[in-house]
Formats: sequence, C-alpha cells, structure tokens
Amino acid sequence: MKYALYLGCTVQSDQYGFEASVRETLPKLGVELVDMDDVSCCGFPALSSVSVTGWHYLSARNLAIAEKMGLDVLPLCNGCHLSFIETIHALEADPGLKEIVNRNLEKEGLHYEGTAKVVHLIEVLHDVVGVEGISEKVKTRLEGVKLAAHPGCHAIRPSDLQKVDDAENPQKLDTLIKALGAETFDYPEKIDCCGSQLAVSSGRSTLKIAGEKLQAVQSYGFDGLVTTCPFCFKMYDGRQRAIKGAIGDRSLEVPVFYYTQILGLALGSSPEKLGLQMNQSPVDGVVNKILGDDE
Amino acid sequence: MSSDVDQREVEFISLMLQKSVGEMHAEVCDQCGKCSSACPVSKEIEGFNPRQLIARVALGKMDELLADEAIWTCTTCLKCRERCPEEISPYDVILVLRNLAYRAGLNYPGGYDDFINGILERGFISEPQEVRARGGGKLSRGALGLPGVKGPKDMGVFRGIVEKIIEAGKGN
Repeated sequence: MKYALYLGCTVQSDQYGFEASVRETLPKLGVELVDMDDVSCCGFPALSSVSVTGWHYLSARNLAIAEKMGLDVLPLCNGCHLSFIETIHALEADPGLKEIVNRNLEKEGLHYEGTAKVVHLIEVLHDVVGVEGISEKVKTRLEGVKLAAHPGCHAIRPSDLQKVDDAENPQKLDTLIKALGAETFDYPEKIDCCGSQLAVSSGRSTLKIAGEKLQAVQSYGFDGLVTTCPFCFKMYDGRQRAIKGAIGDRSLEVPVFYYTQILGLALGSSPEKLGLQMNQSPVDGVVNKILGDDE
Repeated sequence: MSSDVDQREVEFISLMLQKSVGEMHAEVCDQCGKCSSACPVSKEIEGFNPRQLIARVALGKMDELLADEAIWTCTTCLKCRERCPEEISPYDVILVLRNLAYRAGLNYPGGYDDFINGILERGFISEPQEVRARGGGKLSRGALGLPGVKGPKDMGVFRGIVEKIIEAGKGN
C-alpha cells in the first residue's frame, strides 16, 4: 500500500488538520505516502468553468507526475479527486485532446499515458486497509459518540464516472465510523451539498445551504459531523460561526471532524498531532469524552 | 499563440454548441423536474432552476442564457446529473454555458480571475496561510512539521503553457 500523496490547493494552504491527521494515521495502518514534487492545482473549479482544455491540462499534468513516480495517486480533496477522474475519462474519449495535452506536457518534461489510478481516501481506508485492518489497531474505542457521516458530493457522484461508494445510499464512511466504536445512522440530508462552491458568486446563499444541513444534523441528536472533504469541512467547521449569524440560530453547535482526526484519536494519537487545535467548531467536548477527560 | 490550441478551441466551441443546443430538442427533455427538485441552489436563489435552464437551451435562447448570472451559481453537487432519466445532465450544460460565456467576454464572478492569476503566478489558486488555532495563536506549516509546498519546477514554462491555453479560449 503505497500512494503518491496529492494535497491540492485548499489542503496545503489552510487545511492543516486534514493533512496532519492523514500523515499521522495512514502509516499506522500500513499505508505509505510519498510526497509529489512539481505538482500544481488540479484545475477544478478554477478552470473547468472557463477553460475546459486548461482544466484537463492541469489534471493530466498531475497524473503524469504520478505516472513518472510509478504510483497510484491519492488526492486529499474530493474536488481534486473528481477532477482527475473526469480528466482520465475525457482524455480517453478524445485522443485529439490527449495529443494536445501531451504536446504541451513534453515542454515540461512530462507525458500522460493514463496508467496511474486515482484512489479516494474512503476507498483506501474501506476497500484496501479494510474495516478489520482498522479495528485491530484501535486502542481507544469511541464508545457513546454519535457521528453523522458526510461523504461530500464529489466523492459519490456521478456514478457513471466513479464508484467510490453508492451515489444515492453511500455507507462506507458510516462503516468506517463504526469501525472505531462510534455510532452513526442514516439521515435524510446525508448526501446533500455543503454549498461551498456557491461562495464565489453568492456568499449568503452558501451559508444558508450549509446551515440547513447543520441544523438537521444537530436536531437528530448527533454529537458531531465527520467528513473527508476539505471544502465541506471549511464550510461546516471554519464558517460555522458565520452560518449561525446568517441563519439567526444561536443554538447551532455542531463539532466537525475530518475522519482521519477521529481515526487518530482511536489509534492513540494526541489531538495536537491530528491538528485538532485548528478545528474552529466546538470539538473539545467530544474529544474529551473520547479521551476520557470529562468530569 | 499555438495553432493547435486555437484549433482545439474552435472544435471545442462547435462541439459544445452541438452538444448543448444541436442535440437538445424539446422532446429529449421531458421537463420531469428531477433536476430542480434535487438542486440545492434552486431552493435558495430565485432565477436558478435547472429544468427551466434546459428548456431555454432547447428553445435556443443562448444569448440570454450566456448573459444570465444564474449560470454561475451552480454548486456542482451533481445531483441533477445523477438523477436525470434522459442523461442530459444540467451540470454539464451549465459548464458549457460558463465556458462559452467566458469566451464571449460576458460577465463572470471576479473570483475566477483570482483563481487564474494564482495558478499562473505559483501553480496553485492559494498559498499556505498561517492558520488560527482555536485556543489562540497562529500556526504555519513549518510550526506543525508539515513539509514546504513546492509548485511547478519551471514556473516560466508552466505559466507560458497554461496562459496560452486559457487565452486561446478567451476569443479575440
């Protein structure tokens, strides 16, 4: 189990809790991560809306680097993941585009063939390491903690291009939560969008879309929300205070975690090593409960 | 400007028009509304409705559509693509409309220029920030023991290539 680790703009710029917790936990599960040199943005959503060719160039460029390393690539962002998947399909379907991409890649000493596979973090944990592989390493079971799973749009849709999990009834993140001893259950808003991509054109609507989901999660009695997407996390965690203001709900309080953060707590890592000091939502109660530091 | 990219743009635009307009006859879309009922933006923003958008494409109202700011409000959640029984995918149509609007020099959110400039300057839309800790203080990648961020090895060559591709699409 060895992958080229692709961070992506958002993770490497400010989602350090995700990166730190991935680097802390995956090696403990026998997954080796190799950093990538020379990479760039994946092109989504920056270029996909204005220059489809530019978008595929950037994604293919990063895939070409993974190819050169002889490794499959693990992007930490749902958006980058889908971007790579879309580019693989686009270049396969359009040899002309592939040729143009390669003619330009040549100038950068690169070549895209399409041999590097793209894997999602949920696939690595659920399908490769497996629930048993995780369970046997758990030192602290997350007993009595109820966590809502939020896989995020770009991890599960569109099902004609990718099969990380079922598009309408995803269960893998739930299974991974249960593998740590925590509880989870389905809820109607589980596969709903966080709205973060709307921020570029309408900030207020973004906050309302995210707020409705957080209110629902709180109303069902969950102790927190768990995701593997940096865009969704930034929305639900980083902007939770703004969301409270936008929807006028002062009682809204939902601790938000990256899956690898709670995985790390279960594996015995310290909260600091998992970057939990950077979560902006009120996570202390849940963390203390897990570590047995309450009352 | 390299001619292969220019040629590609001409092909792209005609292909996109063919896909979004030529093949989209009224009878292809049943106007069932599964897209709109799934759409998170339709609930919040008046004027954004994927079902109506497809109807307007089928009616050939391209000028009006390309200038409509609503095409920039899609969150790319892909539920419409997932649930469309005719495999029309309003998401993909919206992506085409955005690309065409950008090429036509029509209005688009300024944020996209920031994204593009970031990519051309450093290879990424954003650069590493100092992040606020919940208990106070700020943390950098270095302070957390995370490795430094390395962009494209030869930024000059990278920038030249990406700039040409984007400019070719901008139309002039």
